[in-house]
Amino acid sequence: MDSASRRWVDQLRPAHPRHEETVAKLHDVLQRAALHELHRRRGQLSGPEFDDVAQQCADDAIMNILAKIDDFRGLSRFTTWAYKFAIFEVSSKVARHAWQHHPPSDLEWDKLPDTLVPKPEMEVERREQLATLTQAIATELTPRQREVFVAIALNDVSLDVLALQLGSNRNALYKNLFDARRKLRACLAAAGHPLSEEDA
Amino acid sequence: MTDRHDLDELLRAQEGDAGCDAGVPIMDEYVELELRGEDPAKRFPGTAIHLRVCPGCRADHDGVLEAARRFGDLDP
Repeated sequence: MDSASRRWVDQLRPAHPRHEETVAKLHDVLQRAALHELHRRRGQLSGPEFDDVAQQCADDAIMNILAKIDDFRGLSRFTTWAYKFAIFEVSSKVARHAWQHHPPSDLEWDKLPDTLVPKPEMEVERREQLATLTQAIATELTPRQREVFVAIALNDVSLDVLALQLGSNRNALYKNLFDARRKLRACLAAAGHPLSEEDA
Repeated sequence: MTDRHDLDELLRAQEGDAGCDAGVPIMDEYVELELRGEDPAKRFPGTAIHLRVCPGCRADHDGVLEAARRFGDLDP
């Protein structure tokens, strides 16, 4: 562990005489990092909310950091490890805000985008490919795989927002999406429409 | 959306993808390798694949990288 990281860890211990001062300094930089990240993800929250949310992110990040300080093994600089907590808080709060204000709705699988509907002017092979894909979405995916694929891949709902909607988590839904994609690729390949040489 | 390339992107599912959870504990380490000019894909190949495909994890990664670059290292 580098010396600066060691000082952070030592001074964040409750018994250290500079504990409160160190917590305040870390909170300040985490709040600035959170504020910057909220601006970087602009469009998902409005300006006046930024300061309040950044403070909440720093508050929650500090709590997590203090609770997990013994997990820090010095594989990165302490500050980079700490920024990670603030960024994850931003990610979580931005998703919750989006979900509360714009919950995904109308995610029925038959509401496929027009671009995936075979049209007469398309080449025969393309029409067959899309027809196979549409059929596979309808018949080959499990209900959960279909729900996740339609929401995320076809309707641009974020993983985190959908996780809040379904009471799940990002990793579980990503696994559903991954499995759905592999199944659909396999269906296209089996029907003579491989998307890559690996699928053929 | 309807050409072969876009369908390939829509259905991208690469072997070796480590998933979302695998990146959480190592995100700081991953970012520091990048900051040192090293290739994190050599050490964390599954997460490197994942970050190319998962927008949520990529946004988190970009945020940590940006914070580390912008606010840098500090002494307590």
